Amino acid sequence: MLLLYSTLQIFKKGKWALYLLPVLWLYLASCSKPPIRHFIQRAIPEDSHIISHNPGKRGGILIQSEAGELATLNPLVASDASSSSAIGLLLSSLTSYDWVKSEVIPGLAKSWDVSEDQKTFTFHLRKGVFWSDGEPFSADDIIFSYQCYYDDRFPNRTKFFLTIDGKPCKIKKIDDYTVNIISPEVYAPFLSFVAGISILPKHKLKNAYKEGTLLKEWSISTAKNNPEKIVSLGPFVLHSYRPGERIVYARNPNYYAIDRGGTRLPYIDYIIDKMVSDMNAMTVVFAQGQTDTETIRPGDVAWVKRSAQTHDFKIIDRGPSSSRTFIWFNMNPGNNSDGKPYVDPHKSKWFNNKTFRQAISHGINRKGIVEGVLFGRGVPQHSSVSVANKKWHNPNVKRYDFNTKKARDLLIGAGFYYNDRNELFDSDNNRISFKLQTNKENDTRTEMATIFKENMHMLGIEVILQFIDFNTLVVKISDTFDYDASLLGLTSGTGEPASGMDVYSSGGRMHMWYPQQKTPATNWEARIDELMQLQLTTLDIEQRREYYFEVQEIMAEQQPFIHLVTPNLYSGIKNKWQNVNAPSLGGLIWNIDEIWSLKK
Amino acid sequence: MHGLIHESGLSEILKMKQNILKQLLNRPLGFTCIIILAIFYLCAIFAPFIAPYTTSEQNLKKSYHPPTGIIWKEGRLHVKIYKNIDPTAAKYEYSFGNSVPIHFFAKGYPYKFLGLIPSDRHLFQVDRDNKIYLLGSDSTGRDTFSRLVYGSRISLSIGLIAISITMIMGFIVGGLSGYYGGKLDFFTMRIVEFLMAIPGLYLLLALRSALAPYFDSAQMFFLIVIILASIGWAGTARIIRGMSLSIRSRQFVLAAESMGQSSIIILFKHILPNLTSYLLVAATLSIPGYILGEAALSFLGLGIQEPSASWGLMLSQAQNMKVFMLNFWWLLTPGLAIFITVIAFNVLGDILRDIIDPKMKA
Amino acid sequence: MIPFIFRRLFTLVPLLFGITLLVFFLMSLAPGDFLTPIKQQRDISEEYIIELEKQFGLDKPLYQQYFLWLKSVLTLDFGYSWTYKVPVTELLGNRILATFLLSFTSITFAWVIAIPMGVLAAIYQNSIFDRLSASLAYAALSIPEFFLAIVAIYVAAQTGWFPIGGFTSIDYEFMSKSSRLIDIVSHLILPTIVIGIGSIASIMRIMRANFIDAIRAEFVITARAKGVQEGIIMFKHVLRNAINPLISSFGFALSALLSGSLLVEIVMNYPGLGQLIYQSLLREDQFVVLAAIMMSCTLLVIGNLIADIILAWSDPRIRFERDT
Repeated sequence: MLLLYSTLQIFKKGKWALYLLPVLWLYLASCSKPPIRHFIQRAIPEDSHIISHNPGKRGGILIQSEAGELATLNPLVASDASSSSAIGLLLSSLTSYDWVKSEVIPGLAKSWDVSEDQKTFTFHLRKGVFWSDGEPFSADDIIFSYQCYYDDRFPNRTKFFLTIDGKPCKIKKIDDYTVNIISPEVYAPFLSFVAGISILPKHKLKNAYKEGTLLKEWSISTAKNNPEKIVSLGPFVLHSYRPGERIVYARNPNYYAIDRGGTRLPYIDYIIDKMVSDMNAMTVVFAQGQTDTETIRPGDVAWVKRSAQTHDFKIIDRGPSSSRTFIWFNMNPGNNSDGKPYVDPHKSKWFNNKTFRQAISHGINRKGIVEGVLFGRGVPQHSSVSVANKKWHNPNVKRYDFNTKKARDLLIGAGFYYNDRNELFDSDNNRISFKLQTNKENDTRTEMATIFKENMHMLGIEVILQFIDFNTLVVKISDTFDYDASLLGLTSGTGEPASGMDVYSSGGRMHMWYPQQKTPATNWEARIDELMQLQLTTLDIEQRREYYFEVQEIMAEQQPFIHLVTPNLYSGIKNKWQNVNAPSLGGLIWNIDEIWSLKK
Repeated sequence: MHGLIHESGLSEILKMKQNILKQLLNRPLGFTCIIILAIFYLCAIFAPFIAPYTTSEQNLKKSYHPPTGIIWKEGRLHVKIYKNIDPTAAKYEYSFGNSVPIHFFAKGYPYKFLGLIPSDRHLFQVDRDNKIYLLGSDSTGRDTFSRLVYGSRISLSIGLIAISITMIMGFIVGGLSGYYGGKLDFFTMRIVEFLMAIPGLYLLLALRSALAPYFDSAQMFFLIVIILASIGWAGTARIIRGMSLSIRSRQFVLAAESMGQSSIIILFKHILPNLTSYLLVAATLSIPGYILGEAALSFLGLGIQEPSASWGLMLSQAQNMKVFMLNFWWLLTPGLAIFITVIAFNVLGDILRDIIDPKMKA
Repeated sequence: MIPFIFRRLFTLVPLLFGITLLVFFLMSLAPGDFLTPIKQQRDISEEYIIELEKQFGLDKPLYQQYFLWLKSVLTLDFGYSWTYKVPVTELLGNRILATFLLSFTSITFAWVIAIPMGVLAAIYQNSIFDRLSASLAYAALSIPEFFLAIVAIYVAAQTGWFPIGGFTSIDYEFMSKSSRLIDIVSHLILPTIVIGIGSIASIMRIMRANFIDAIRAEFVITARAKGVQEGIIMFKHVLRNAINPLISSFGFALSALLSGSLLVEIVMNYPGLGQLIYQSLLREDQFVVLAAIMMSCTLLVIGNLIADIILAWSDPRIRFERDT
């Protein structure tokens, strides 16, 4: 009653108009319809990609969530995971990658030949393939795309993959459906790198290329206002995009793959990618049955599983993941611009001491980390290549089990000594104490760091923890080098050794303990450089494995990276989805065009 | 406002203070608040004695352990022993009949009593192989109760330190500009207005991201105090300026001036005593703002850093969904602690205002 | 009135200038820039990074960067978001709408609850209801918003009655118009309550005090002497007079909420202005931060302005000041 009266009072005074305004807004906001897109559907290509799985049924919407914001749909600009995965749905490449068999499979090229000197690759393109807007696809698109990536006006990261030993590849059009690419050197990962190079539509982008405005094309502004301008060759087209809210993809009616029954792929009508703030929120919406698939972190598996019955999903245990977490010491002997050494000389002496690093490694309770932080869902890591990477993982490297006594013996053997309060000193009477930094955004890492600190306490070593912003951390490890030790992680994509070049070779930017060396500082680093170069220029898989195994052995012996643990990988997916074929590496749904739904 | 300005000397002020305390204790609500705050601050001061464990002592086999039950057995208090029946879900079960006695004033980790006297006695302990978790444990098996007690040192002191700085700054800036007037007044007031016009939290964030790299994480405490104080002084300065402007024209000030006393002396000797009661009320009412400011910063991960503990930082752990879903409710207790402290200060401030000046309103 | 509004808006100019200068300076003190995370990716060449630096003007000295930005702002171009790759104005539009909507609903919510409660507390002064509502008000004022937001998410997660975070549902685009409206409303409920609760307490306390003052006013005594019904006195005379000062607080509340909802927006994943500022600040997306902070300061000033205008409108005794 009172409430009514006071509301009436306000209305009587004519101020109700103020109240109506947001309601009006709300209404207007809810009126913005997704634009309707018209397509010219073309016939199934004569060279269509025939998928061998069991045929499914058309229909269904796949709903996912994502924590990162889409930055662009332009492959020349994309540098983040969200954008790259979006582009992966829209565009195709000459070759593709089978994550289960971990091998390169045909994409836009139905087959290819390799010349005898193993430098010239001849790609035979599929005939009768059309872009989503009905325009034909031909060798001109390939030539145009490579032109764009090589153009100095458009700096992009793809060029890096296409530059071998500092030299570009040569590309030649033989006829409308045949292309030659000549690599300057024998290059083992050539075909898998080609799988990552998105082909651009010449008919849409040639003007922007001429005018030099290519980098401004296909921005999220285009995606938002004119999604029809972004044409596809991949399984999906962009339907609509609302920044901070969601991306909707629709089936590409002109996709080039069919199943055995002759149905054009993909089966799914729409994919909805909902943007949420973080991993937490992503897990929640999945557990509530709102999304269809999600990666579940080890600590969350227990509670997410509870609603598996209610929302009809399952959680697939995919074993160890490809991500690895490690600690390293700053072994950089250089000086900063003021002429001061980056690291205190007495500390640098410990960090550059192999026995010291080995002792630290023995002092880490990796099993405890697995139990405490990962809820028992993970494994200690010893090799620099994750167990998940079955093709390249060396199981026989040196192991450092949790053994405080052994660690102390090693330290004493190396000239360190303990005082009566169990504190460790070096032979010059310096107390062993260092700072360990990690980025504060990642709570698994901060938890591991606190455990490390306690473990080191048992060795009489004082660790001072520094949890800092990721940006600050990157500046420290790549620019100013003013830190003692760091804890970070890396995830490897396909596990291809060549993608580790920047980490292992002493000149690499990601050679974190002492990056961008002019000449290798130690003999073992020189040997790693040599091995990495050898594996790159050998096409024989067995030979490459042998080289890469030796790299892992040296890494384990020297411990420049002190690896901690590998968490297991869990993926949740609703039971209605068929043809889900979980690989041991990478995303669960890598074969999006083959997935189909039992229910509508 | 003018009711609290007395033309009085120092002794009268002291008498008034005693009076205030007496009146405060006479009111049941005021008494309760004082007791609550006293307990909290005593806990903070004697943290090492009260906390059974250090903030960083971990037990990786007992992560997310629920609060341990306490039972009466064999003529003394015992703590129940739990078994981890499902490590993947951090599920613990009381293994029936299994318990260990609690030892009071027993030996534990060494510390310095009041920062001076070495000691290793603690209020309560259990034997080394078991743990007593009054408020459960966190992700690495650290005792939430101990962290809460140690965390109170930061959360409770940050308010006091920051408020002292802002009050001093506010008094000097506001007092001087009110006293001198003119150009000084004009410029300081423009700065004050400017600072007050910026949304506080944004300024907090911008300042923190700018200053953080120049501080060690161990010095984060001081950084936060500096940031909070540098934003907070403006409001105080503005009000004090107004008050000193009005006191300035009072006869006793004019008299002192004509006697040739320097302005600084006048400021501290004549104006300050007249503002003490106001400052007391204002300080009590603003402390919660600083406590919440620290909590918010630490909550966002921009404040106090692990492994030290502050209530806001502890609460940021509770943001994790598994805390809710697996019902680790004890990790929300820091929120409760913040809430109780803030409400106690708010009530206390209101009562103080009531006592000092019944006519004064928010 | 018009010159008054202009004068008030004019004070914005030095304010915005000062704030942007301050923020620009503070952001430059933080290490690295928005390109720093990119540097960490192993396949991006150094030449590319240098190119990008040139492209975004990061290689120029600081003051030049600022004045370049200022120049473009004067032509109403607020620059380009580095992370989102769109003009800043485009980015801000939706966010302002969302934040404004949330502020509006929470003020309305607070008023609808607080005014009757304040009136009741005043009428039944010192009753159990009065004491209970006073203690509730204390509690509401003292509970940290982010804590409340966590609790709200917990409730949503446990009961499933409310969506957890966001502005619309996932299948929003496939809904009919009416269910879209319902969808937005259901997403607004929890953040509205979380943000509204703090203001309920303060509005209630002001309302109670005003009402008590008004009850004691002379016109009430006169009306009673005339034998007017008690209910009519309360509603027609007292409430009207008591509510006037509150109307002015509407604008203040608006401006306070616009800046105060930051933490709630972050915890509850509400895509508003606050969340944008926070994320952009962390990513060092300079132009977005500058524009968004300018926006929220402007809204703050406008909120206060609206408060003054409403006050003058509702109370004929108040006139716009002529000077200063």
